Amino acid sequence: MYAWIWRHLPGPTAARAGISVVLFLAVVALLFFVVFPWLEPYLPFDRVTTG
Amino acid sequence: MTAPRGPVTASGGRSVGRTLIRGAGEVLITLGVVVLLFVVYEVYITDLFGERKQAQATVAVDRVWADAEATATVVAQAPDQLATDPRERVPRYDTVTGEGFAKIRIPVLGADYVFTVVEGTDPDDLYIGPGHYPETQLPGEQGNFAVAGHRVSKGSPFNDLGLLHSCDAIVVETQDDWFVYRVLPMAEEEATWASTPRARCGGVGVQAGAYAGVYGREITLPSDYAQVLPVPTVLSTTVPPDAQRLITLTTCHPQFSDAERMIIHGVLVTSYAKAPGFLPPELAET
Repeated sequence: MYAWIWRHLPGPTAARAGISVVLFLAVVALLFFVVFPWLEPYLPFDRVTTG
Repeated sequence: MTAPRGPVTASGGRSVGRTLIRGAGEVLITLGVVVLLFVVYEVYITDLFGERKQAQATVAVDRVWADAEATATVVAQAPDQLATDPRERVPRYDTVTGEGFAKIRIPVLGADYVFTVVEGTDPDDLYIGPGHYPETQLPGEQGNFAVAGHRVSKGSPFNDLGLLHSCDAIVVETQDDWFVYRVLPMAEEEATWASTPRARCGGVGVQAGAYAGVYGREITLPSDYAQVLPVPTVLSTTVPPDAQRLITLTTCHPQFSDAERMIIHGVLVTSYAKAPGFLPPELAET
């Protein structure tokens, strides 16, 4: 999977490394701002009320 | 990791198998990283979001209070002069879901421990700060001023409730008043409460009658709704005519789990009218 992505990135090695970092950060941002906030209410970590 | 042996031009079947296994391994590693990222998100990132929402709520309530305070004419500064009878203090503010209406301070948790309490206990409300159970009473009123707060994540307002001792002050500021509550005796202190001299414990005693069994800290099940009701042992929303003035804080327990709830009960011991430049002396307790 990662090898496949690497092969399909354009440019020399340095450019590929830079794009890889950007891609990784984009995925992290997607997780932090979209996926995790959506997922959170379904997980049993921080319900604090009684009743 | 061993270097691949043999020519790259291995038989087609072996190459496909290797690709599949490698792909599966990458997926598993990726999922592991996602789980770790979720922990980072939950423990650190939501704190950042929560603190920003809390700061906005604080600015908003400060503005409301500043507008209201223009009508105040109290000039006294001494605590004795400002002490009030809570029976004569009627809230003249409205609460709006998701908006702040009070501030809670716990001096023993630090001089900077202050959180704006919002109305409501839905996840969106609790992201902003400690949330008031809307069906419970307001600060200073007879009955139970019940507040829920996150222990870990979303600003973590109630992370340190486990450090509270009996008689520690919980100071609630509203538009016009300061209400000083003190944590009730713990279960293990009940037997020796009367025989042990204690500082700061005026007005705090072992509970009796309908209140028997109400302690400063209780670990209970999430279904134990009576804890936030006017009399925390009675499953009724009716405030009895002789009801005490309690505060109840709820958060999850143990830390990083919500299998149980930690409950803190306190009782109102003092109240003051707000005046410019006046801070209750209880805030200096450490």
